[in-house]
Amino acid sequence: MGNLMDVCERAITGPVMSEKEFDMKVFIPRLNEVVKTYGIRYDRENPVPSDDRAADHLFDAAVEFMTKVGVYCLDTNRVMQFSREEVLTAVKEAPKVCYAGEGKEAGIFGMRKPDDPKNPWLHVGSGIVSSSEEYATNIVEGYASIPEVNSVNIPGLATLRGLPVAAGSPIEFYATIRGLRIGLEGLRRAGRPGLPIMNHHPTPAVAVTAIAASAPQFGCRPTDGWLCGAMAEMKINFDTLNRVAYLLAWGANVGAESGPMLGGLCGGPAGFTLLCTAYLLMGQLVQKGDFHLNFPFHFKHICSSTRDVIWGVSMAIQATSRNIQVPTIWAPYCGAGPNTKMYFYETAAILLAWTTSGAPSIMSPHPAKAVKVDGITPMEAQFAVDMGIAAAKLNRAKANDFVIRLLEKYESQIGTPPEGSRYQDCFDVTTGKPKEEYVRLYHEVKDELSGIGIPF
Amino acid sequence: MERQQILDLLVTTIVEGDQEKARENSKQALLKQIDPLVAVEEGLSKGMAIVGKRFEQGDAFLPELLMAADAFKAAMEILKPVIASQKREVASAGKVLVGTVKGDIHHIGKDIVITILETRGFTVVDMGVDVPSLTFIEEAQKTKADVIALSAVMSTTMPAQKEVIDILKEKKLRDKYFVIVGGGPVSQRWADNIGADGYGQTAVDAVELVSHLIRKKR
Repeated sequence: MGNLMDVCERAITGPVMSEKEFDMKVFIPRLNEVVKTYGIRYDRENPVPSDDRAADHLFDAAVEFMTKVGVYCLDTNRVMQFSREEVLTAVKEAPKVCYAGEGKEAGIFGMRKPDDPKNPWLHVGSGIVSSSEEYATNIVEGYASIPEVNSVNIPGLATLRGLPVAAGSPIEFYATIRGLRIGLEGLRRAGRPGLPIMNHHPTPAVAVTAIAASAPQFGCRPTDGWLCGAMAEMKINFDTLNRVAYLLAWGANVGAESGPMLGGLCGGPAGFTLLCTAYLLMGQLVQKGDFHLNFPFHFKHICSSTRDVIWGVSMAIQATSRNIQVPTIWAPYCGAGPNTKMYFYETAAILLAWTTSGAPSIMSPHPAKAVKVDGITPMEAQFAVDMGIAAAKLNRAKANDFVIRLLEKYESQIGTPPEGSRYQDCFDVTTGKPKEEYVRLYHEVKDELSGIGIPF
Repeated sequence: MERQQILDLLVTTIVEGDQEKARENSKQALLKQIDPLVAVEEGLSKGMAIVGKRFEQGDAFLPELLMAADAFKAAMEILKPVIASQKREVASAGKVLVGTVKGDIHHIGKDIVITILETRGFTVVDMGVDVPSLTFIEEAQKTKADVIALSAVMSTTMPAQKEVIDILKEKKLRDKYFVIVGGGPVSQRWADNIGADGYGQTAVDAVELVSHLIRKKR
């Protein structure tokens, strides 16, 4: 389906319009048309549907949507358009697997289907939740010390030598390579230096910094993964395409990234699930992803654990896992923070829903909406791994029952979730081990969930 | 058509987000000699308030909000010149400068804030994205803004929010403007640390904060 030069050609020759025109006269009306034509409807009562025909129908809708809308280039104010044939070719040529990691840790990040008993690819960590330099190594070591983990995200640094890491400045560059060194050190301490890091780079805002810090002498490996993000919604810019160009020329793993927002330009759950699905098509047509990372969230609650987001993503996962082979990380957010029961309930609901829907991977959800500096610990990663493996033993119907029960436990608090603890409050910063209180809470919740039938 | 019927039509037109009907119904209002300020307050603004409320309750989403705002602007194309010719102006709840800071091109959250502010009767200056810190300050001085609202959606662009406040202090202008911050990675703790006047976790929170601050000023 062409290469990046073909994408660039479309970016400079496609029909010209303002961004607002694209949003108001193309994106929104076409999305609404396709939702109506295909009868996509939110099923509030079943956050984890089991309807393969509806899933395939949603995928067909996404193909049509992609054909009608295209992708807007912010730098040229032109729309990159793709024919139905081109979209379907991209589907056919999708990567199927992503080779990640080195040496003993080399792995094949592949696909799953709905109700698949195969374990998902186990991905943990967070880049957005910035960490203090002093804790970051311990945190990454903690992730990598979970034996089942297949890949990690490493934290971004908020400050360097006391200075804020400002976008586009040399501080950002120095912070990026420092963050990378910290991450690699954490992997080494855990005895797993070849474990793939899938979120290069979490710190920099601009391509020039990301590309500079990706030079091999600083430690990146082509079998890691780089996130190359779309802009909301269905837009791209040259900054992202420059990253893609560099990575493709090197042969490194490109992660096509997108963050659909329920309640934003796509409207409610029906438009949201269509957009979640369509982004995987965009990721192949434009960003040429070896894998995809989709981080869906609710516009008001800034988390992925609301009933409508869980439903929308479950549907999109079913649609895509059945129809296009792109290894995908569906990256969730929880409202509650570390060391809270609510975080564990939200994580359980999300991972039960998405794993049984056929998600190729699980990812430990960002705690506390990813706004709390140092608000992430390896304990959340451990729980996510346990949940992912347990969820693979279930099917969608069973997961639906569990998710409904879990929603009852936390849904009423979604507007005011507990912020939880920082790493240094619930972990021993010297040993890198969780404090007793957190261990107790972890076991208490696991026992509770086992008691209702979750097969840990 | 009766006066109240036309005003009700203006409300409906905004709720439906129909720009053409908004222009047409505004012309009808003028033809029926309805005071254009009344048409704004009892027609257009009422419609915006309905959509704003639905949005806050989760019954409407950004597309409905944007379409209502566009219909409002379309109606104002007809009514504003008449209001101006009468040497009057639409009452404003206050003036707010809203923009995304330097190095950051995310705008959806900012756009939601702007639209809800407009539904609540505020005059908003949309600074756009990737706005240099000094430009915020210069524009605030030029437009005599009450509030400067800064959006940052990445942890590496958050420092620019602090930079705006620091520059205001250096120029001894800090007391002239309220400064509020928001965006994905932003938190109350960050707002407190940098000396902002407030933090809005959601767009609705931001608008409530603006209302509160302006009431305090007056």
